[in-house]
Amino acid sequence: MAAVTERSKLGTIIWPVVAWIVALIFFFPIFWLVFTSFKTDADAVKPEFLFFFTPTLENYTNMTQNYDYWRFAINSVITSSFATLFALAVGVPCAYAMAFNPSRGTKDILMWMLSTKMLPAAAVLYPMTFLTKNFLGIFDTHFLVILVLCLINLPIVIWMLFTYFKEIPKEIIEAGKMDGVTTWGEIKDILIPLAWGGVASTALLCFIFCWNEAYWTVRLTTIDAATLSKLIEGNRAPEGLFFGRLSAVSTAAVMPIVVLGWFCQKQLVQGLTFGAVK
Amino acid sequence: MSDRTIPRLLQTPAVILLLIWMIVPLSMTLYFSFIRYVLNSLRRPEWTTPALENWRGFGNYSYVLNAKDFWFAIQNSVLIVTSILVLTVVLGLAIAVLVNRSFPGRGIVRVLLISPFFVMPAVNAVLWINMILDPVLGLQGIAVGGLNTLIDGLRDFPVLGAFFSLWPELQPISFRATQTSAYAVIMMVTWQWTPFAVLIFMTSLQSEDESQKEAATLDGAGPWSQFINLTVPHLARPIAIVVMIQSIFHLSLYAEIEIVSRGNGNKNLPYLIGEFASNNIGAASATGIFAVILANIIAIFLLRMVGKSLMD
Repeated sequence: MAAVTERSKLGTIIWPVVAWIVALIFFFPIFWLVFTSFKTDADAVKPEFLFFFTPTLENYTNMTQNYDYWRFAINSVITSSFATLFALAVGVPCAYAMAFNPSRGTKDILMWMLSTKMLPAAAVLYPMTFLTKNFLGIFDTHFLVILVLCLINLPIVIWMLFTYFKEIPKEIIEAGKMDGVTTWGEIKDILIPLAWGGVASTALLCFIFCWNEAYWTVRLTTIDAATLSKLIEGNRAPEGLFFGRLSAVSTAAVMPIVVLGWFCQKQLVQGLTFGAVK
Repeated sequence: MSDRTIPRLLQTPAVILLLIWMIVPLSMTLYFSFIRYVLNSLRRPEWTTPALENWRGFGNYSYVLNAKDFWFAIQNSVLIVTSILVLTVVLGLAIAVLVNRSFPGRGIVRVLLISPFFVMPAVNAVLWINMILDPVLGLQGIAVGGLNTLIDGLRDFPVLGAFFSLWPELQPISFRATQTSAYAVIMMVTWQWTPFAVLIFMTSLQSEDESQKEAATLDGAGPWSQFINLTVPHLARPIAIVVMIQSIFHLSLYAEIEIVSRGNGNKNLPYLIGEFASNNIGAASATGIFAVILANIIAIFLLRMVGKSLMD
């Protein structure tokens, strides 16, 4: 018994230290990105300035000049917000119906929806470009990006909402029905207040996925509707010489979402587990 | 109106939207995969517009199957996805167990650990391949250079110097070659998705039955056998979730591959489709159909595995 206590005493010191080291290793690349963004392009590649250098905000002040950052950032905000909004507008009623009036087909519909997420985007890229360029004339418009972002995230949104709604006791809804509440009233007065947390975390996750999306947003836009993903992908070519400014623009592209994630991590987990982990 | 009408109406928009989203482009891909369709052809200009007269039957499919890149791309896709899955699950389990006890600063550790998951994939790739893994300018190059200087200095010491002079000069690894760039992709995606696995496993660990563990301790079970016999079975469902969600995302991995592998031969299936699509749409579409088939096989397998547990 004595040996065990001794070991666990040592453990209470060692394991937290290990945990801290692991966490710092995982965070290091992000730290390095932010750190490098305060170096000039010349300093960023010199080993002698690896840790000690004169910090400069030059990369951030020149960001607009070098990269036209704000246009891409505004596009990212617009497309991600509207896509999230539309995905919720379509997803909430659907998930509501599935959770509270499940039929025999509900499970299959859910499975099918998730399986559309597995279709490789590359397989349908050319038809999408062809259709939107030659027939619909909506290539490189905000509308198209919003539509596509909404559709690719819709299955995940419905799944997450479904798992949240399922947790709401049916009796409350039944009681509302007894009192003669309409379906709309049911959603507005009973469901939304109860499911608010679930809807909010779904919206957050959807927004994060939209913001980070880098396949469709890069390939279905040229200039007008190009988002931050496009900016990063498009400017990776002269990277060797411009570590400083590349770091600054990358930091500006990821930090809003990383910080958002920090504040909402607890809410995000439950949704991400698709209700299968309690 | 029956009881079923309203629920059905509520589901209709989502179902119709997803149906259109799936069927329209997919049937066009199917059509293009059976015709000769190229974007530029001086000799056969009639092939540059899609038309039924250019019917090629299964010609595009056999062309793709005989392209040596095709099998390499499939092999590489499987290698990349499997390695990422194994690494994230193993690392995720280890870290989740590590963090699943209270210690000073646990909240901050959690925040630090989860951060990579929110980084944009394009930034992830640019950051790793340039600033970290670059053999000259990146941290790897700088670290190797530093170690070499250090060893060089140690050679001048008496006695020990003889030992260090046996050491060869360290060479930095270039992650832009065909095979090594696949490792770079595995590394950066593992970095990004391990936090996801950690979060899910941690949530699940918190619901583990502690009394069972105490009973096991009393019966003399060591921590390792407790982990294998109690914790791992408890985590079966979350592991399935992690595998399923990651497969959905990694089968269509593109941004990382594109940024890391530009022109060096490393490719997965989506990237190969992209290459074909720069001119030969017929072949790209046929490859796309193969990718859809592969995804479906995996999807059926995964959904069977996970589907049951999701519904109750």
